[in-house]
Amino acid sequence: MPGNSDEVAEAAITLAGDLHARPAGSIAVAAARFRATVELAAGDARADAKSVLAVMALGATTGKRVVVRATGPDAPDAVAALIEILAAATLVGG
Amino acid sequence: MSDGARVGIVLVSHSAALADGAAELAGQVAGGTVAVVPAGGTDDGGLGTSIAKVRRAIFAAHAGAGVVLVPDLGSSVLTVRTLLAEDSALPEPLALADAPFVEGAVAATVIAAAGGDFTAVLGAAEEARNARKL
Repeated sequence: MPGNSDEVAEAAITLAGDLHARPAGSIAVAAARFRATVELAAGDARADAKSVLAVMALGATTGKRVVVRATGPDAPDAVAALIEILAAATLVGG
Repeated sequence: MSDGARVGIVLVSHSAALADGAAELAGQVAGGTVAVVPAGGTDDGGLGTSIAKVRRAIFAAHAGAGVVLVPDLGSSVLTVRTLLAEDSALPEPLALADAPFVEGAVAATVIAAAGGDFTAVLGAAEEARNARKL
């Protein structure tokens, strides 16, 4: 197996808009493409980034800090991809 | 996850408007790369289910990777079960998801859009039973 399967990566972003249904869908579609497990944290709430329903239920609104944490061989790429989507998607809203 | 054909989704409802709306929502949340085909209402446009509509929807949704059907209530389930039991010419694999209608449709479509295989898409729909809204 290439890479370190226990690799952990983490980054945070402050949302420029609410995390609505369509951005939640973009996040889940992107996260599901990685082998790493990916978790979003907002305040005390946690969500599996690959579950669109869990991401929607996170209640992540404008100004909240969201931490993206991934564990697995492609963890850094997963975190980078999700931070990019969170930055772009919450600006658009929907 | 694969970059080949996507698993298709069929939404079976007593109401054409409900099936159409759920298909529109699921398609938009998932980014529009999956065939989400509504099969709502009777053949004459009333409230009820239609074996012929479900059958057409299955063929419309099938892209080579299978089709997951999400039913709303009661006779939607019976209609799909009757079709699956009596029609041997349907595409495979094919399964009826034991899932809430809107949440199951959205969760299944998102995993299909991500390239999830038939088992993953069916599992995503059924896991929606456990999802909390709050």
